[in-house]
Amino acid sequence: MIVHPELRALRGDDSPQRVAQDTLIGRMGDWRNTPDVAALEAEMAHLDRGCPLADCRLLAGMFQQGGPAAADFASELVRLNLEGLAEAPLGHVPFRHFTDGVHSTLLLLRSGNVTLSLVAVDGEGLAGRPAPVTADFGPSEVWEHVLAGGADAELVERSGPENGPAVFDRRDVALQPGILVCRLARQQAMLLRGVERCLVTLRLQRRLRDAGPTREYRLDDGTLVHQAAGNVGDSRTEMIMALLGRMERAEAAPVLADIAREEGSAALRWQALRECLALDTLTGFTAFCDVARSAEDELAPTAGALRSQLIEAYPQLAEIEPCPA
Amino acid sequence: MNLPKLDLSNLPDLDSLTGTFGSLVDYARVQSSDDSIVILMTFLYELTWRGY
Repeated sequence: MIVHPELRALRGDDSPQRVAQDTLIGRMGDWRNTPDVAALEAEMAHLDRGCPLADCRLLAGMFQQGGPAAADFASELVRLNLEGLAEAPLGHVPFRHFTDGVHSTLLLLRSGNVTLSLVAVDGEGLAGRPAPVTADFGPSEVWEHVLAGGADAELVERSGPENGPAVFDRRDVALQPGILVCRLARQQAMLLRGVERCLVTLRLQRRLRDAGPTREYRLDDGTLVHQAAGNVGDSRTEMIMALLGRMERAEAAPVLADIAREEGSAALRWQALRECLALDTLTGFTAFCDVARSAEDELAPTAGALRSQLIEAYPQLAEIEPCPA
Repeated sequence: MNLPKLDLSNLPDLDSLTGTFGSLVDYARVQSSDDSIVILMTFLYELTWRGY
C-alpha cells in the first residue's frame, strides 16, 4: 500500500491537519459574518417563523426565476472554499454533507426548520441507476434554483386519499440554468429522469411543523409503500422514549404521558402511550383514558378500543379514576 | 390498588406504522427532491459524535 508521505507524517503529528481545518473553518466563519450572509441567516430565521418568502428580500432575490443572485452567491462561496482548499488541500470543507457518488449535498446554512443547500447530481452516475419506482411526499416547501447543467425532470402531483391509492398527474419540466421550481412537497414531487453533465441547484427548504409524515407511493399503481416521521425531532424523541422504556425508567412516565396528551404526530403520541403504560400502569392508563375521551383526538377510537380490551383482561384497571365509560 | 404490569409487546401498534425520519424505500432517488438525507446524516452525527 502506498501512503503519501504527507499523510504518513500526520499519523505521528496531526497538528498540520488541525491547522488546515482551522483555516477552512475560519474562512467559512468570516463568510458567515459578512453582512449579506448574516442578513440571509436572519431572513431564514424569519422564514422559519412562518414569514412568506416574498417578505425576505435577499432570499426572494435568490429564488427568483432567471435572477443572478443565486449564482453569484454560490460562485462566491465556491471561490472562497477553493482558495481555502488550495491553501489546505487535505482539509474538509466545513459543511454538513452527503454524497452517494451521484447525488451530493452541502448544507450551507440552517435556521430551525429552514435549510439552504447546494445540490449536485452527476448525470453519468444517474444514468447507471435504476429508474425510480416510488415518489415521496413530505411536509415541506421547496424552492430550487438551477445554477448549472440541465435535466429532464418530471413534476408528479399527487391527489387521492393519504393512505392510497394515490392518483398522479405527471408533467415534464426541462431544467436549465435560471429555472426555478417551487413546490409544496406534500403535493408535488420532482423526479429526475436524465441529467446533462452535472446538475447544480441551490435549494431552499422549509419543513412544516406538525404537518404529518412523509409518505412514499409506488408510481405505477399509487400504493402507499412507506411512511416516515415528517420531522427529525419526532424520531429523536421516539428513540429517547424507547431507550427510557428499555432502561425501565419509571420516573419518565409522567413526561411520556405529557407527550401523549400534547398536540403532535399521532405516531409519536401513540408510542408515548405504549411506553408510558409499560413503565407505569397507573400513569399510562390515566393518559390512555384522557386520550380516549377527547372527542377531536384522532387517536381516541384506537385508545378507546385498547382501553376496553385491557379492562376486559385486567378488570382492576376499571377502578382507575377519572375514567367514565 | 393492585395494578398489573403490562408488557410493551402486548400493546398493539397503530395500523399504519411510521418509520424514522428519512427512512424511505426508494433510497437512491430521494435525494433528488428533498433534504431529508442530509438532515438524517446530521441527526445521526449529532447522536453519535463523541468529539476527538
